[in-house]
Amino acid sequence: MTRYYVPVSIGLLIFAFWLKPEFQEIAAGVAIFLFGMLMLEDGFKLLGGGILERLLQNATRSIPRSLLFGGLATTLLQSSSLVSVITISFLSAGLISLTGGIGVIFGANIGTTTGAWLVAGFGLKVNIAAYAMPMIALSIILVFQKSKRLRGLGYVLAGLGFLFLGIHHMKEGFEAFKEQIDLTRFALPGIVGLLVYTLIGAAATVIMQSSHATMVLVITALASNQISYENAIALAIGANIGTTITAILAALSANFQGKRVAAAHLIFNVTTAAVALILIVPMTQSVDWVSARIGIASEDYALKLAVFHTVFNVLGVALMLPWMQKLVAVLERQIVEPTADVSRPHFLTEAVEQFPQTLETALRKEVFHLYQNAEELILHGLNLHRHQIYDAPSVAYVVRHSRKPTDLDLEERYERRVKTLYAAIVDYTSRASSGRFDPETTDRIYALRDVASSIVQAVKSVKHLRKNVLRYTTRNQGTVTELYDSLRTEIARIILEIHKLSVADPEIRSALWLEQERAQIEEDARATTRRIDSLIRSHELNPVAATSFMNDSVYAYGAMRELIQAARTYFVEQDKAMAEVEQLLSLDDEVLGKDDNREDVLRP
Amino acid sequence: MGLRKLATKLADYYERLENGNASQINSADIEKVLKKLRVRASKLDAELSASKDNEKRSRLERKIAIAQQHIKHAEWLLKEIG
Repeated sequence: MTRYYVPVSIGLLIFAFWLKPEFQEIAAGVAIFLFGMLMLEDGFKLLGGGILERLLQNATRSIPRSLLFGGLATTLLQSSSLVSVITISFLSAGLISLTGGIGVIFGANIGTTTGAWLVAGFGLKVNIAAYAMPMIALSIILVFQKSKRLRGLGYVLAGLGFLFLGIHHMKEGFEAFKEQIDLTRFALPGIVGLLVYTLIGAAATVIMQSSHATMVLVITALASNQISYENAIALAIGANIGTTITAILAALSANFQGKRVAAAHLIFNVTTAAVALILIVPMTQSVDWVSARIGIASEDYALKLAVFHTVFNVLGVALMLPWMQKLVAVLERQIVEPTADVSRPHFLTEAVEQFPQTLETALRKEVFHLYQNAEELILHGLNLHRHQIYDAPSVAYVVRHSRKPTDLDLEERYERRVKTLYAAIVDYTSRASSGRFDPETTDRIYALRDVASSIVQAVKSVKHLRKNVLRYTTRNQGTVTELYDSLRTEIARIILEIHKLSVADPEIRSALWLEQERAQIEEDARATTRRIDSLIRSHELNPVAATSFMNDSVYAYGAMRELIQAARTYFVEQDKAMAEVEQLLSLDDEVLGKDDNREDVLRP
Repeated sequence: MGLRKLATKLADYYERLENGNASQINSADIEKVLKKLRVRASKLDAELSASKDNEKRSRLERKIAIAQQHIKHAEWLLKEIG
């Protein structure tokens, strides 16, 4: 499809330019307008520094707040498509609820009507090119500044300037075009006209991927009397259907939640369009009534179209809002959450990649997913089970009574449940190095990659242990079984402590707690070495078993250290100042490895 | 880790702060961390009182020693920053 789309579009444009040179100005106007929208988007990204994303999380706690946020964000960005794409990304990362996401989409449909008012009420009434030129000229000074905020401001100013300039050229283009050709000849009356122009409006929006651009084009054409008011209304209805394409395209790479919200967008816009087409007569009458009340002249069709666009979208929201919970239920039933395949990434999808916050959150969740798979694999590798360890009053007792080997192909399970997730995590973290994110976010993303690496190392260590765990712990062989049981117990204890930390209230938990476990590991490692020496000297352990155990204890303590390191980084305070305090209070490795923790005295 | 090492780390922190590479901490931040450490220490104390197993008791005592060390350091830090 894309193979033909670009050459066909270019070919059609060149043919149209050759046929009617006046068309060039209209096409250039649309291009300048779309370019302005892109600059506006870039400008707000630089200026906001993720503020929109942060606001989105808080703004979706209730339906009215979601609606308000969707409306305001779209008014500010002048792009409902962009707001839809951000919403899909946030939903995919699990940062907002489906109801909240649908609320934002509904609000965006109301917010998008401000564009029509801007063009019909301001763009056509004054010579906006007079504003556009100084805005563009001033913006370039700001764009070349080092400060991110100033650059952002420059892009916003340039974006607005180009939007105005685009409108001006479309207006001028239609004026010139009018002298050559009368497009009203193609006006279609009645239901046929309504349906045909609705389809044209939808198609134009799909091509430009902006209902806003379609609306501006329609309003400027209407102001130049190049299309009839009735056909302009149909084009506006079509634009609302066509605008869903951006969300649908974004949802293709999103997870089931993203797909649900894109489907909600399509259902909302198609239903609203259908209702508007059915009730077209009473709707145009109500537009006349509203226009008369707010002082719009009966012949001012551009402003009346803006009124229609607003009435049409507000009516859509009013109609759909009572059905929102039902819509959510239908979507949840029809777009089913896939059965969790633990071997595949659950959160890292292309949809979350676009914004630092969504990528970081998705990455955090995926790393925890990796940990859960690794935890299960480690315990199974030691012939233990998660539920036994979590509920055990004594881990040592559970270990002593776990002699049955688990049916496990460790290598296959490692490849499928650990390596694939780790590969996805490495892949997504490497995308953060492209300089798109600020250094602090990039550091946090790399720290998460290190957590994943430590988890994988811990699993690899347990893989080495597996052979002798099967050899020495599936039946009691005396001292050697006791030694291997102590290693199994210590690893299980670390897993239990990490579990306790993960379920603890974040308000009371601290990663510093894990230093107590770290000190214990070192103490256990020293005690084990002393015990082995003693057992070899007393001939209670044969040299073959002793050598195996010494090698295996290196792997076991390595796994424990890696797990503690991973958990310490993962559960580090999210608040920067508190993380700094924890960093100051953290004890050095050498100190944790000391036989005693005697204090040297220093008075404050 | 002794208080001397903590003092060195604090000096290093002030240097990073001056260069804009660290976040400003205040007494409220330290108090929050201190509260978390005290909660943990109390929990370990309660576990120790309830435990009769010698091996478990010695493990808990070692954990409590580390927890107390953290608390002592946090209190020192609070005096320094506050």
